[in-house]
Amino acid sequence: MEMDMKMRMNTNAGVNVSMSMNMNMDTNVDVNMNISDDLFLPLDESEKDSEFIAIESRSFIADAARRFSRNKLAMAGFIVLSAVVLLAIFGPVFSHYTFDGQDPSSRNSGSSLAHWFGTDKFGRDIFVRLLYGARISLMVGFVSAGINMAVGIAYGGISGYLGGKADMLMMRVVDIIYAIPSLLYVILIMLALGSNIRSILIGICISSWVSMARIVRSEILKLKTLEFSTAAFVIGASKARILFRHLLINALGPIIVTLTFMIPQAIFTEAFLSFVGVGISAPFASWGTLVQDARAFIDIYPMQVVYPVLAICVTIFSLNFIGDGLSDALNPKSRR
Amino acid sequence: MNTATAEVQNAAETFEATGARGEADALFRVEGLSKFFEVQKSGFAPKKYLKAVDRISLSVGKAETLGIVGESGCGKSTLGRAILQIHKPTAGKVFFHGIELTGLSEKQMAPFRRRMQMIFQDPYASLNPRYTVGDIIEEPMVIHKLYPPAERRRRVQELLLLVGLKPDHIRRYPHEFSGGQRQRIGIARTLATEPDFIVCDEPISALDVSIQAQIINLLEKIQRESGVSYLFIAHDLSMVRHISHRIGVMYLGSMVEYGPVELVYGAPLHPYTRLLLSSEPIADPKRARATHVHIPEGELPSPIDAPPGCPFCSRCAYILPECTASRPPDYRQPDGRTVRCYQYSQRRRQQRRAFGVADITATQ
Repeated sequence: MEMDMKMRMNTNAGVNVSMSMNMNMDTNVDVNMNISDDLFLPLDESEKDSEFIAIESRSFIADAARRFSRNKLAMAGFIVLSAVVLLAIFGPVFSHYTFDGQDPSSRNSGSSLAHWFGTDKFGRDIFVRLLYGARISLMVGFVSAGINMAVGIAYGGISGYLGGKADMLMMRVVDIIYAIPSLLYVILIMLALGSNIRSILIGICISSWVSMARIVRSEILKLKTLEFSTAAFVIGASKARILFRHLLINALGPIIVTLTFMIPQAIFTEAFLSFVGVGISAPFASWGTLVQDARAFIDIYPMQVVYPVLAICVTIFSLNFIGDGLSDALNPKSRR
Repeated sequence: MNTATAEVQNAAETFEATGARGEADALFRVEGLSKFFEVQKSGFAPKKYLKAVDRISLSVGKAETLGIVGESGCGKSTLGRAILQIHKPTAGKVFFHGIELTGLSEKQMAPFRRRMQMIFQDPYASLNPRYTVGDIIEEPMVIHKLYPPAERRRRVQELLLLVGLKPDHIRRYPHEFSGGQRQRIGIARTLATEPDFIVCDEPISALDVSIQAQIINLLEKIQRESGVSYLFIAHDLSMVRHISHRIGVMYLGSMVEYGPVELVYGAPLHPYTRLLLSSEPIADPKRARATHVHIPEGELPSPIDAPPGCPFCSRCAYILPECTASRPPDYRQPDGRTVRCYQYSQRRRQQRRAFGVADITATQ
């Protein structure tokens, strides 16, 4: 603050050096001898600029978005996924076929202008059924990830922040849920509550929130020892305020990354259940039921299996690329 | 229970309304404060305790700076945190404006939280990286509902100017600042609630020397202008001497010597204080060569499950029989300071006087 006479001080020092050199070497004089102190003025307050910051200010999210957009693979995944989502939402609207409209005159037809991906054994248009399947698969993926996130953040956050005995008890509950194979729950719930989307969501969510809870807990355990959480306590912030406004906002990176890996997991589970036969029931379609329906004719009409499998692959690939990209973008330590 | 709560509530209200001082003239008074941490090696072994802070008493007056020095791990920071009730003390009492803080719930503490603040050691860890500077400094005012919301931003800019930053830094993030600038942001946050008492927990040890002076000058300026009191924790002896009015020397959780800064630095009594001060580097090489530095023998004992005697007895050159038997109490000296050493008990001092032996201070 007070040391900002730098510019003119420097000049002053330079002159001093040249003066002493003149004296030492005893060469010709009167170069700078008439310089006196009153030629120098301290820098005016308004001219001082020592606290200036040159770098452009960026928020954490803006910074992460910039890094994410530079990641080609992640951006490709993002574009493909957006296309899949848009197609799933708007595709069926513009098609004159419906997911359950049967046409006995053209069963098991191949690709044509009328039916882009051909028809199945009842003459239903496979492309439209794929889009309807995408609606269900993506909805299961996103909704269950959302529920997992809410439950996992609340549970893991509270467990990690309280610590001690409460944490011990809450984590043992998590261990118990974790110890029982999740497919067991899911199949039992499907049998008890019937084959519909609601019971699939309940089945997936009842066990998979624990991994989010664990991640959030370990992040909170780490963050709560940092000084800014003590600082928040000292200025009088309540426990809830510290946890939700200070700690969780800093755990956002790992939470978002876990989330993007949870979506493909849920899509996978749903597809598997439908394939095994306990998922969505006919005439509704998900990608899993499409594969299941076509399985019997795999030798004769292999393409009927290939389309839904391809849809699953492309979606999960793009989700994984997005997840990788986000984890790079949100973790500044990986910044090159 | 209810009457007690009401009493505290009343006291808090009068305090809020008038800012009235209690009977005790000291702004902050600490009596026999202890903080033990439970250390568990295994579930079956008997519990062990780490005595981080052991029966410490001190007081801080208005516009006064109390310096706390001691080597790493001696419990300086724990003392500061126990005083601010960040760590609930194991024993002892803390009075602020004459009102006892120990045993208050967080809700009852709220009006006091506003008046006692803390500056942290690590300016890189003490600011929430996701908040802008404006949010960070504004938050205490939001929590304590201090100004009308519309005025808070203007107040933040005043505080930024006060600590020598620019008002337009308000929208920037902590990672865009240097260590010294960040520490000044932390100080601005601390000042947002206009506290009477600030614990400075090694506020300069993470900064380089030129910036250290900047921060110290700022702290002194704030004290001159607002009359705030500091508990200044540091291990830089010359800096503590510069800023403090009184000083406490800590060793393994004990306050071994406590008194005015000129006395403690000028004529240290406790053997540890003398050791500590003789280890301070001397800036003049001629004088440094002439000075004999006494290097202690023996190891720093583990603070976990420490033996019954004086914690310094394994390294002390003036050991007495009673030193290994029990922990010494605080002995008040004629000049007003307290020393936790058997050499300065009434009996030992009288003995020395009777035999015409000089105090150990004289035999350096």
